[in-house]
Amino acid sequence: MSGDRSGDTNEAVPDGGTVTEEAAGGSGGSALAGLRERDDFVVIATAAALVVFPFLLIDVLGVVGEVIGISIGGYTGLPSLVLIYGIIVIGFNLLLGYTGLLSFGHAAFFGSAAYSAALFSQVVPSPILMVIAGTIVATLLAWPIGFVSIRRSGVYFAVLTLTFGQALYFWALGPGAWLTGGDNGFSGIEAHGLFVGVIPLDAQLIPVFDSYTVMYAFTSVVMLAALWVGNRIINSPYGLIFEALGENEERVEFVGLNVFRYKLMAFIISAVFAGVGGAMFVIHEQYIHPTTGLYWIQSGDFVIMTVLGGTGSLIGPVFGALVFEYVANVISGVSLPMIGSIGSLWRFVLGAVFVFIVWVFPRGIYGAFADLAAMVNGRGGGDGDKPAAADGGERE
Amino acid sequence: MLLQSEIASILLNGLQQGAIYALLGIGLTIILGTMEFLNLAHGALYLVGAYTGLIVFQETALSNGLLYSSGITTLGFEGGFLAALIVVPIVGFGIGLLMERFVAEPFYDRPETDQLLVTFGLALIVEETVKNVIGGNTFQSIAPSTIFGVNVSQPISLPLVGLFPSWRLLIIAIAFVVIGLTYLAIERTDFGLVVQAGTHDSEMVRILGIPINRSYSLVFAVGAALAAFAGLIGASIQTVSPQIGTERALIPAFLTIVVGGAGSVRGAIAGGLVLGVIISAMTQTYSQWAQIVLYLFVALMLIVKPEGLFGSAEVGE
Repeated sequence: MSGDRSGDTNEAVPDGGTVTEEAAGGSGGSALAGLRERDDFVVIATAAALVVFPFLLIDVLGVVGEVIGISIGGYTGLPSLVLIYGIIVIGFNLLLGYTGLLSFGHAAFFGSAAYSAALFSQVVPSPILMVIAGTIVATLLAWPIGFVSIRRSGVYFAVLTLTFGQALYFWALGPGAWLTGGDNGFSGIEAHGLFVGVIPLDAQLIPVFDSYTVMYAFTSVVMLAALWVGNRIINSPYGLIFEALGENEERVEFVGLNVFRYKLMAFIISAVFAGVGGAMFVIHEQYIHPTTGLYWIQSGDFVIMTVLGGTGSLIGPVFGALVFEYVANVISGVSLPMIGSIGSLWRFVLGAVFVFIVWVFPRGIYGAFADLAAMVNGRGGGDGDKPAAADGGERE
Repeated sequence: MLLQSEIASILLNGLQQGAIYALLGIGLTIILGTMEFLNLAHGALYLVGAYTGLIVFQETALSNGLLYSSGITTLGFEGGFLAALIVVPIVGFGIGLLMERFVAEPFYDRPETDQLLVTFGLALIVEETVKNVIGGNTFQSIAPSTIFGVNVSQPISLPLVGLFPSWRLLIIAIAFVVIGLTYLAIERTDFGLVVQAGTHDSEMVRILGIPINRSYSLVFAVGAALAAFAGLIGASIQTVSPQIGTERALIPAFLTIVVGGAGSVRGAIAGGLVLGVIISAMTQTYSQWAQIVLYLFVALMLIVKPEGLFGSAEVGE
């Protein structure tokens, strides 16, 4: 799944297992330099895209919708929601795409951060402090869970993370109900706005457009920060070791590195992202329930978004989050002339698309587009690029 | 201090729940052991089994069903459930064959994460199909009230236990007959020999010239039939809704083989019974903690005895 970013097919880096501190530091290898430039470009381009994105999603699609008579414009909260899930899946992909570990328990970190932020808001209703509080709790929870789960690999890792997540879910529903509100959920969460409540989160930045709310700006900043951090990690020597772990764990071990420590770190880092996302989610939705926060289907949704978007690149999974949330929130409300209301069919369609993507494009939507782009302007440029990309990742 | 009768009823309920876990676990474990294929759609087969049972039961047993409309008004006994007992495993077997051919086979050589992902997607599709075709509402369990004229809806008095629903007793018996037959088939037949050998080292089996690919389909189909059968058993004692596939089948099945040891039939039976007794004991005492204790027990088991009760640590890693 991992290690098939086009950068390492150029020439200089022989393979993931032989990365040394020196090479990773960037002193040699035009491939690495090229990679870094590309990824800085990704962050800048994303910043630009974030400005246009809500306008396209709400206003433009709204107008198009009016013309064709089907409401396909998103509601004002949708861009923020997409970015919140984007933050989570960037972190999730560090674990799944780069380190090669499939966790089915990330809802635990998402949910615990959401609940912590919600509880914290009852004391200090500051959105930034809520995010910090939620993230700290998620991180503290990730350490013991990771410490135990990382000891096993493959299915067992997936099952262990799943069991811990489910244990937490049932705790929140039953014995922990005094804290979490149990099946009633936790409502009445109100963040007072930025800068000690001076700027309310639902205020509009530009009066004419519905798309740009303070919440969206806030989420964009956090999302860009997350992307930048993710970018720093995968381009650091540390991140290259994650990638090497995804390719061949034994090789990393033989080089003399402490595999356990790196895997645990990758797990915790991804949980931090999930924690930030969980806290942001609760600020956005102002409501949290064990089923939305902690149930294993939520972890499954992270998996779907990540794989749908593409595990081979940093930004890829965000596309998955966009598709997922758009389908879940907008397409599900669309009523087509022939078929009628889509309603709850959306999950069926999503499942089918997901199976198709796993089957045919193991590198997801982003990978498919990257292949397409390479095919269009390729020919002369990337000689070794295409076969490596088409193969869709290593097979063992 | 628990009363003697409480302990006895905990054990009996545990036996019944454990039988369902064991049926699911056996199917999952022989597929995982022989083909090293991780089937996250195993719970979907349970779901299909439960709903097929439900439909067969209603169409054949009620006074306005399919059989009734074609002129057959009585089978001489309450035949719906017996018909389901025959139809459901056959349906499961057929679906298993199709799944092996069209879903599993293209993924044997792909990384295990891809296998998990594609079967996870498949499970979603099945669950959503059921929701959209049959509806998301919950159905009552489908226990018949009489079998061959014998009333099974009344509880009977057992020594030690006291009153216990006689239908559940019958279900335990039926489940254990099926478990026993499966166990014998794997321990005593040529087919079982191939399965066992494949669990140990499928590469070697292929090198020896045994047509393991044909056995693959059969193993998959048998596993699927067992899961569907478990769904029928489950549907006869618990309500049926589209969520049961993951909640009551997939996750417990995984927990079962983790406790029992991946690839081991004996382990799946033992693991299923252990988990069944734990959950029934917790349900009768501190029901709020039942699920939590179950999950924590499995986590503890993985830490202390990672290879499970009867398994080898290599399978599924």
